[in-house]
Amino acid sequence: MLASIIASGLAAGAIYALVGVTYNTMFSTSRVMSFTAGQLAMLGGVFGSMFTLKMGMPLLAGFVLTLIACAIIGIITEFVAVRPVLKSLDQHLYVLSTLALALMIQQVAAIKWGTEPQPFPRLIGWGSGVWDEKFWLPVAACAITIAGLEYLYRRTLVGRAFLAIAEDNFAARALGLPERNLRVASYALAGIIGGVAGFSGGELLLAFFANGALLNFYGFVPVALGGLGNNRGAVIGGLVLGLFQQAANFLVGGIFSSVAVFALFIVVLLARPQGLFGFSTARRV
Amino acid sequence: MAVSRRQLLLGSAGALGAATFPLRSAVAASEPIKIGFLAAMTGPSSAPTIGFNRGVIFAVDTINAAGGVNGRKLEVITRDTQGDPTKAVNATQELISQAKVHAIWGPFNSGEALATTPIMARAKMPNIHPCVVETLIDPAKFPNAFRLAPSNSQWDDAVRNYCLNILKVKKIAVIGDTTGYGVTAVGASVAAFKKDGAEVVYQANIDSTQPDMTPDMLRARNAGAEVIVVWSVSTGMEARMFNTRAAMGWDVCFVGHPSMSSGELAGLVEKPENWKKVYAIGYKSCSYDASGKLPAKSQDLVDRLLKANVSIKDTLLWWIAGGVDAIELIAKAVDQSGATDSEGIIKYWNSLSKYPGYFGNYTFTPTQHNGYLTEEVVMSEASTAKNGTFALAPGYT
Repeated sequence: MLASIIASGLAAGAIYALVGVTYNTMFSTSRVMSFTAGQLAMLGGVFGSMFTLKMGMPLLAGFVLTLIACAIIGIITEFVAVRPVLKSLDQHLYVLSTLALALMIQQVAAIKWGTEPQPFPRLIGWGSGVWDEKFWLPVAACAITIAGLEYLYRRTLVGRAFLAIAEDNFAARALGLPERNLRVASYALAGIIGGVAGFSGGELLLAFFANGALLNFYGFVPVALGGLGNNRGAVIGGLVLGLFQQAANFLVGGIFSSVAVFALFIVVLLARPQGLFGFSTARRV
Repeated sequence: MAVSRRQLLLGSAGALGAATFPLRSAVAASEPIKIGFLAAMTGPSSAPTIGFNRGVIFAVDTINAAGGVNGRKLEVITRDTQGDPTKAVNATQELISQAKVHAIWGPFNSGEALATTPIMARAKMPNIHPCVVETLIDPAKFPNAFRLAPSNSQWDDAVRNYCLNILKVKKIAVIGDTTGYGVTAVGASVAAFKKDGAEVVYQANIDSTQPDMTPDMLRARNAGAEVIVVWSVSTGMEARMFNTRAAMGWDVCFVGHPSMSSGELAGLVEKPENWKKVYAIGYKSCSYDASGKLPAKSQDLVDRLLKANVSIKDTLLWWIAGGVDAIELIAKAVDQSGATDSEGIIKYWNSLSKYPGYFGNYTFTPTQHNGYLTEEVVMSEASTAKNGTFALAPGYT
């Protein structure tokens, strides 16, 4: 039982963590919590299944096309739901605009793809039981993504520009950084990360339009637990959430496990409103 | 005798009325029989409607080709409700007040029917539908509403009968999803099993998006379950349970909701054998025996459908047969009552005893409008779909 809790808990947790990183990537350059993050992950599974199973493409081509498609959806999010409301961030209109776009994505997926879960192909064919690839693939994808992001942010000029925008938007613009282009690029990157989450977790979650709402919700929890904008916090928060949820599933059952997860979430936020790994920032006046 | 202008006018009006009466009767006798068809032709719940629609078109074409009913053609007026209760209500009102239909077939999901049934009752509109929710049929409140398919409790009775009397198991696990349907169905099923003396060793409602079913399956096995009864329409959840059972090396049977025989499961199970020992609700009329033979009447329908180039491979035979039966029941009611007035149609339906349809034999009385007979509900081997029919589950003779 313990092995099963760890295997499925880490797998689900890694998917939640990647969705959390998707939230953070969009937030870092726009200060907007875009509720399309879970839908991007859902589309990762749907596009993956469509390209590989329905259209019969090779896995690698299907994977690359999935990431491109998700990146395009990320860019559309920036243009349609984020850019128009950036001037009035304090009114939090982005909640409405990104939620509306998320609902549109979900409805279009339901109409075009279908409302029943569709199969997702076996990607590598390694492992069985608790070592089945459907459990370790999301964990591996999460680790590779985090390593890639660390490299991008620490070793590349573009990555440092992202950090500069995230740190101080006005100062970065004053230095001549192309803030708008970088923001579009960060939304494309978020789309790719969401696509990786959905593709790597496709065998576990299947290609199902309703996964979007679920991942929106469970992907937000690690962001809140780990601290807004903190990717390491999101990863740790996601993995802890997955393990706790799965342990609760075993111990108290499906419906009550959700109650247990959100009880823990509320307790953590009451104790540390800035998240476990976040920090309070002084407000400029 | 002097005739006043007023008398002359009255006399003329009377003469004109008398002269046109036979003409109006003749028009009424030759006008088409209008059947309203509340159909979710598009949207997420359109699959059954597509099957029903094939049966409707087939039956109408057949009857009209044979000259109609007493010389009157059938005319089906279809309204696409998209499975949306609001659209269904608007369409119902339009069919009654604008199109002036003589009877309505549909809608096809209970959410829509809960909204449309009282409207049709107020208009005394003869209505026949296949929706499963119990409260939709109440001859005192809705004397115009008749059910062509089994209700939820009839499904439940059939599942319980199969578990207790054919599989002869006593320790039952009952699992459903967390939708309103899943929670209600699990509660009713557990209560009925306990009433019949069975031991419900495990009961759960699972979120259908839960990625891993191992926790619930382990708990059911540890509780000693000999069969798992499933009440859910989520094929994803069902496939995960079948795959988990295989991974656990457990050979327990699944018995329950017809969605377990959905063709989508073929792609969702990791191996075809994971879909074995799964018995979903089916119907005698649409099940083939060990030698692969359908009942003679059903085979006759299949042959006629194939001859008329009606596709039956991508749908269920009972949906097509139900569509045929509904149209024939309306046509027969007009034929027997001699008119299209609602009282005559309803009176005819109330008099039916084991009326031989293709989907089933229907019995209605003024106090019982659940027409389908429970003994005609059987379990099918879920993975054996062939032209919209299934093999009978083991244990039936």
